[in-house]
Amino acid sequence: MTTTSTPTVTPYRSQLHPARAGFLRLLRAEWTKFWTVRAWLLVLAIAAVVTVVISQLGASGSSTSGNVEPTLAPDGTVVRDSFHFTHRELTGDGTVTVRVTALESADGRALEPWAKAGLIVKESLEPGAPYAAVLATPGHGVRTQWNFTHDTAGGASDLATAPTWLRLTRAGDRVTAYESADGRTWSEIKDVRLESLPRTVHVGAFVATPMHQILRRSFGGTSETAGGGVVTASFDRLALRGTSATPAWTSADVGGGVPNGPGPQDAEPGATKLSPTGVYTLTGRGDIAPDETLGDTVQMSFQGVFVGILFMVALGTLFVTSEYKRGLIRTTFTATPSRTKVLAAKTVVIAAVTFAVALPATALSFTLAQSRLRENGFKPPAFPDLSLMEAPALRAVVGSAALLSLVAVLALGVGVVLRTSAGAIATVVVLVILPQILAFALPLPAAQWLLRVTPAAAFAIQQGATYYPFVDHNCLPESGCYPMTPVSGLSVLAAYALAALLLAAWSLRRRDA
Amino acid sequence: MSDATIEVRNLRKRFGRTLAVDGLSFTVEPGTVTGFVGPNGAGKSTTLRTILGLDAPDEGEALVGGRPYRALRTPLLEVGALLDAAALHPSRRGRDHLRWLAHSHGLPAHRVDDVLEQVGMEQAARRRAGGYSLGMRQRLGIAAALLGDPPVLILDEPVNGLDPEGIQWIRTFLRRLAAEGRAILVSSHLMSELEDTADHLVVIGRGRLIADRAVSDLLAAASGDRVALRTEARTEAMQLLAREGATVAVTGPDTLTVTGLTARRTVELLTEGHVPFAEVGAHRATLEEAYMELTRDAVEFAAAAADDEVTR
Repeated sequence: MTTTSTPTVTPYRSQLHPARAGFLRLLRAEWTKFWTVRAWLLVLAIAAVVTVVISQLGASGSSTSGNVEPTLAPDGTVVRDSFHFTHRELTGDGTVTVRVTALESADGRALEPWAKAGLIVKESLEPGAPYAAVLATPGHGVRTQWNFTHDTAGGASDLATAPTWLRLTRAGDRVTAYESADGRTWSEIKDVRLESLPRTVHVGAFVATPMHQILRRSFGGTSETAGGGVVTASFDRLALRGTSATPAWTSADVGGGVPNGPGPQDAEPGATKLSPTGVYTLTGRGDIAPDETLGDTVQMSFQGVFVGILFMVALGTLFVTSEYKRGLIRTTFTATPSRTKVLAAKTVVIAAVTFAVALPATALSFTLAQSRLRENGFKPPAFPDLSLMEAPALRAVVGSAALLSLVAVLALGVGVVLRTSAGAIATVVVLVILPQILAFALPLPAAQWLLRVTPAAAFAIQQGATYYPFVDHNCLPESGCYPMTPVSGLSVLAAYALAALLLAAWSLRRRDA
Repeated sequence: MSDATIEVRNLRKRFGRTLAVDGLSFTVEPGTVTGFVGPNGAGKSTTLRTILGLDAPDEGEALVGGRPYRALRTPLLEVGALLDAAALHPSRRGRDHLRWLAHSHGLPAHRVDDVLEQVGMEQAARRRAGGYSLGMRQRLGIAAALLGDPPVLILDEPVNGLDPEGIQWIRTFLRRLAAEGRAILVSSHLMSELEDTADHLVVIGRGRLIADRAVSDLLAAASGDRVALRTEARTEAMQLLAREGATVAVTGPDTLTVTGLTARRTVELLTEGHVPFAEVGAHRATLEEAYMELTRDAVEFAAAAADDEVTR
């Protein structure tokens, strides 16, 4: 094509030894890019300081009167333990059997699904004492429950249609729960071991119900009241086989009928009526279950993370959009033609840098916030000391740092796709922050749905309280309750971050730089 | 074929309804400075981006050392590129900009100092790039291109916006790099910028190849059979020569350019007709003239198309 022949030249040979552009070198290059922009280091430092400071302010704003002596389960959980109990002593091994024929509301209101009527073996009549119970419920069939935090489902039999036979057999420190439809064929539900159960225990029939909960929510205010709840249950064929020092069944209100909670203190005591045909009618109030209305002091310690997120979004976005803005991305892809590798290196660097700064920040936030909360009445025994090195505090500290880091990665991915800072920052803020704010305003089901399907689900990682499925509890975002478990909540954010990265990789391969 | 070359084969690239590059083919040889010239919007930058693997061609291919850019394992050691001198993070020091590039290829730290010295940026590189003049940015961009000591250099409008001193510096610098045996592709929309720099020219317009020739050939062709004539009797000379079938153009108060006659025949005719003249010689075209001639059609076409776009 040339009209003259090119003079013979020796092509240039470089004196440099060919270096292989490995991934570690790429990481080093991206790290150099990061730390050589002073503003980004500053943003990182401000993010850490703001997270700690806002967490302190948040914790200082929470207080509790904390003057109620809590009932503690054998494992230290704060529980409700009050019920009406028709019982006898049992010394040594033995079996108690009963037929439950009815469980009805006695206060004119609908029956709570977790109202309980059944048999219980209890170490003593003291609230919080170890127990094992087999019980019928209106909404959840037959269950075996023991020591407040354990629950096993039995059959799905419904008292409204047929009576249910229940049986507890005690042998040493083992208690076995059975159920039967006819009193002849028994099926075992669960074999429970109660540690160092004394020789003499209390066995018998009981009735209990959670209180009715009334919830009113509107933007900026929530009123949640719990109260009432009286149920009546009918039992017959109540029989004890074994050695008993008490020849007759006696009745008592364990826990005074109304446990540490709101409700009328002068409520009618429970009652037991025995008909000439041997039908025991027990009326009572109170519940045997973990108390989930206390504040979550772990969750209260990380309120600064919410603000720290904004800085992470900015960092993650700018780390890539600043290159698009100035055309520097072309220099980057000229040096490393593999765009997926560049994306991977950027992801590793931004994730590592943000996590390394966020972890000390969340650890410090938690430690300082805990001492603020102590001063404000969140003290043992209701609020036991939490060790930073143990779950749930450790999970919340590490998880919050991971949350901040994942948000930065999500922002990076969105930044690659949208290529503009403003668009990417707005998108991530809408995804992560907005659901949190909307959750306070929307009806509870909508709020909980939002906190499941958006990256805001990740805030669940900050929860320290355990929410048991066998306790009806209004999981209110404003009380720090998230509808997902901590790890699955964080996984939602991780899934969003991964999806953003995949979309970014696809977009990088498909579009011109 | 040496490995220190750029080959563009039948390249075609479309952006929406605009055909930016339309079946372009050319080669850049080692030891030469190849000027890549065309009016603004002719497709120069698109071609360069495609060579560097930044844009994917719709058709054809661009090879560096016989391979597509994206297949290069250590691209900085094979091709140095300056696409946009403004592509710097304003709060990053010039030196740090070169450091991350060096890290990406595991290049020794002294390479950064070496190239900064080569472009005379040792002092300025300690400052943040946000405060750089255009000349400093161009120098830093060239330093970045030289970092891997590559046998091929691709520079997009490196002279754009430089002061005369800077332009002179770049010309000398590029000549020296080419003398070392490197293949250098320099784009420009102004032919005059490449005067005394380029050995070879690739001229494009509207994404198509217009010329791919050595500079010396091009100048000879543009000069053609024209004769430059200096005379005080301009009118008589014009009448006389036109009668003999020549085309005569006025180029100054006492200068004419004659086309269609040799210098010898012109002298004969003027002497016979007793028309006084001071000087007769073969006309030497400037590169700019050669370029204008080559791109005239392309430019007019482009202008018409631009008007069309405006009215649309």
